[in-house]
Amino acid sequence: AIVIIVLKVVDKFRQLFKIPPLPYLEDTWWGPRNKSEEDESIKPFTINVSDEIINDLHQRLNNARPFTPPLEGIQHQYGLNTKLLTEIVEFWRTKYNWREREIFLNKFPQFTISVQGLRLHYIHVKPIDPDGLRVLPLLLLHGWPGSVREFYEILPFLTNPQPGYNFVFEVIAPSLPGYGFSEAAVRPGLGAVQMAVVFKNLMDKLGFKKYYIQGGDWGGVIVQNMATIFPEQVLGLHSNMCFIRTLSSNIKLFLYSFWPTLLLPREHADKVYPLSSKFANTILESGYLHLQATKPDTVGVALNDSPVGLAAYILEKFITWTNSDWKNLEDGGLMKKYTYTDLLDNVMIYWVTNSITTSMRLYSETFNKAQTALGITK
Amino acid sequence: VLKDLQQRLTNARTFVPPLEGIQQQYGINTKLLNNIVDYWRTKYNWREREKFLNQFPQYTVSVQGLRLHYLHVKPKTQQGFQVLPLLLLHGWPGSVREFYEIIPYLTTPTPGRNFVFEVIAPSLPGYGFSEAAVRPGLGAVEMAVVFKNFMKRLGYEQYYLQGGDWGAIIAQHMAVLFPDQILGVHSNMCFANTFLSNVKIFLGSFYPPLIVPKEFEHKLYPLSNFFSTILLEMGYMHLQATKPDTVGVGLNDSPVGLAAYILEKFSTWTNPEWKNLEDGGLTKKFTYTNLLDNIMIYWVTGSITTSVRLYSETFNKAQMSIGIEKIPVKVPSACAKFAHELAYSPSTVLKEKYHNLVHESDFTDGGHFAAFEVPKVLADDIYLAAEKILAANASQK
Repeated sequence: AIVIIVLKVVDKFRQLFKIPPLPYLEDTWWGPRNKSEEDESIKPFTINVSDEIINDLHQRLNNARPFTPPLEGIQHQYGLNTKLLTEIVEFWRTKYNWREREIFLNKFPQFTISVQGLRLHYIHVKPIDPDGLRVLPLLLLHGWPGSVREFYEILPFLTNPQPGYNFVFEVIAPSLPGYGFSEAAVRPGLGAVQMAVVFKNLMDKLGFKKYYIQGGDWGGVIVQNMATIFPEQVLGLHSNMCFIRTLSSNIKLFLYSFWPTLLLPREHADKVYPLSSKFANTILESGYLHLQATKPDTVGVALNDSPVGLAAYILEKFITWTNSDWKNLEDGGLMKKYTYTDLLDNVMIYWVTNSITTSMRLYSETFNKAQTALGITK
Repeated sequence: VLKDLQQRLTNARTFVPPLEGIQQQYGINTKLLNNIVDYWRTKYNWREREKFLNQFPQYTVSVQGLRLHYLHVKPKTQQGFQVLPLLLLHGWPGSVREFYEIIPYLTTPTPGRNFVFEVIAPSLPGYGFSEAAVRPGLGAVEMAVVFKNFMKRLGYEQYYLQGGDWGAIIAQHMAVLFPDQILGVHSNMCFANTFLSNVKIFLGSFYPPLIVPKEFEHKLYPLSNFFSTILLEMGYMHLQATKPDTVGVGLNDSPVGLAAYILEKFSTWTNPEWKNLEDGGLTKKFTYTNLLDNIMIYWVTGSITTSVRLYSETFNKAQMSIGIEKIPVKVPSACAKFAHELAYSPSTVLKEKYHNLVHESDFTDGGHFAAFEVPKVLADDIYLAAEKILAANASQK
């Protein structure tokens, strides 16, 4: 009897650490049209927002209701400081020129193509003068609350030869489904795992059988999924948000809290430990995630109807996630690293495409029992 | 304000349609929202509603630097009746509007009883027509102090309390802090969070009948279900407890956004099954007019941001380290447990916090907004509880 109990415990233990098989994933049809009616061609794309939308935006900015002032002595600890927001909205209203920005945003060749029923937008930049250099196809994936706009400054670095390197990149930077100029799914189920399938199919349709992938935020999650599920296609991965969440990684993290320097160099120990304060900080910063993972459609209504509301919601992240110390600065520190123009370009992409609600659905489509049960993080 | 509102309703940007086959599971269904906004735009008449809202005598008074708004309704017939002063406290996303249907029941004598209530129903600081704090720190505990001072300012040294949602929390704190002032408490959201109450809940997961009668077992166990439900519904609380000022901007600038955010709660918290209904079930228990009255109070006063700050002022280390949850309520207390309330607390668990629990009732209907949804049922329970509270206080003497 003891032998049976021991065997059962060992078996249970083994099950906990077992690596699950790759999930079976279909090429689900996500779009509104019939498969037979779908236009499969690649179409060139130019951003050209109607006057109606721009005039409506200006009206809304001009008629924004007065903001509730921050509490005394508070900077951004309760969320975005509305004194800062007032300045940014003023800039938006009086100095930001969308038609000029459209010219800027259209500087790279852009296209749309249908993948699994969704017409996806993407930027496609080939190296200008690849003479003798190897050209590596690179899929660049953005996250939330970002967009392809985040890549406009890095694209020239990636597609221009760098001294000492005999290769250069050809970049494909799509807007995620439901973000910016890409169509959104009309039926439930398009989580981060399913997006990996969509992008493998995108690259396939563009003629790339093997390629490299790079991402941050949701892009970091999706590239991780792509590398897990499609190792034949993915030659290499670069991520600026690598993460792990398996039972053994969690156990390691916990055990090393007793002797952090066994795990990390002393100077980095405070990035992970103490676990309690890291955990507390996560709670402090994940309210948006909790709400978006459960009720995206509710909060989306206001954000899609009020440009100042949308700006507040998005800019708060550009402050806190760029440097959490900036929460203590009344101006939020944004101008140390960004210009209001560049930040507003990104906000505008959400505004002119009405995509904030569909962008947030990625959270509820990913953080749920069904997606977790796929076990891909293991 | 009204012209501006009408413009915003007329020019609301097109809503993103819900996903195929989905009702309210991803949040409010925008097809439902469209219907409500149409009604708001074309049928809801604010000037008529103003008259309705002005039917009760209202005042403002300054307490600790805040000019607070309140309804003050005295019983129609006082002769021969003992008049019990009752402080009625609302919560979020509610307002004094939730009490308009119940006030007549409370201030009109009922057959066979020799007492009746005089109702004082304030708007919480930062809500509706009450001023908001300009400096940090006004959490639920501090609000208990404000209302004790408020009642004192109105001339009441001893009185009764009733509340739900934040009102229940503040009433609980008042009963703990000011037992000399509080003659009795009635709550439709009693809760306990002491060490022993949690131990009991945990132990009960091994053998529920120890803790909860069989017919209510499913409301608490298995605990995993209970936690999943909480997790599913607490996103708003997590966000409001951490970044109230951020989300407040959009909600204060877009009336349709504000309506979506508030109405989702009136649907899900009245009955969680309503999440599976395309129309959200609202018209089973409410009218759009009544629901919009409440939303209008938030809109015309621009108070949504200051209202959600109550979450961040309460759910933080400073307030939690006061440890008020661990201190028992000794004054006579009554707990009304409605069928669809968000969390269920069995009697043995509540008694760890309420040491003088004289009345408990379980209802097979009703949800979180009891006063608004089932005013007569709640009023009857308040009267019943008051009898027992009066008896308890009498026998003390």
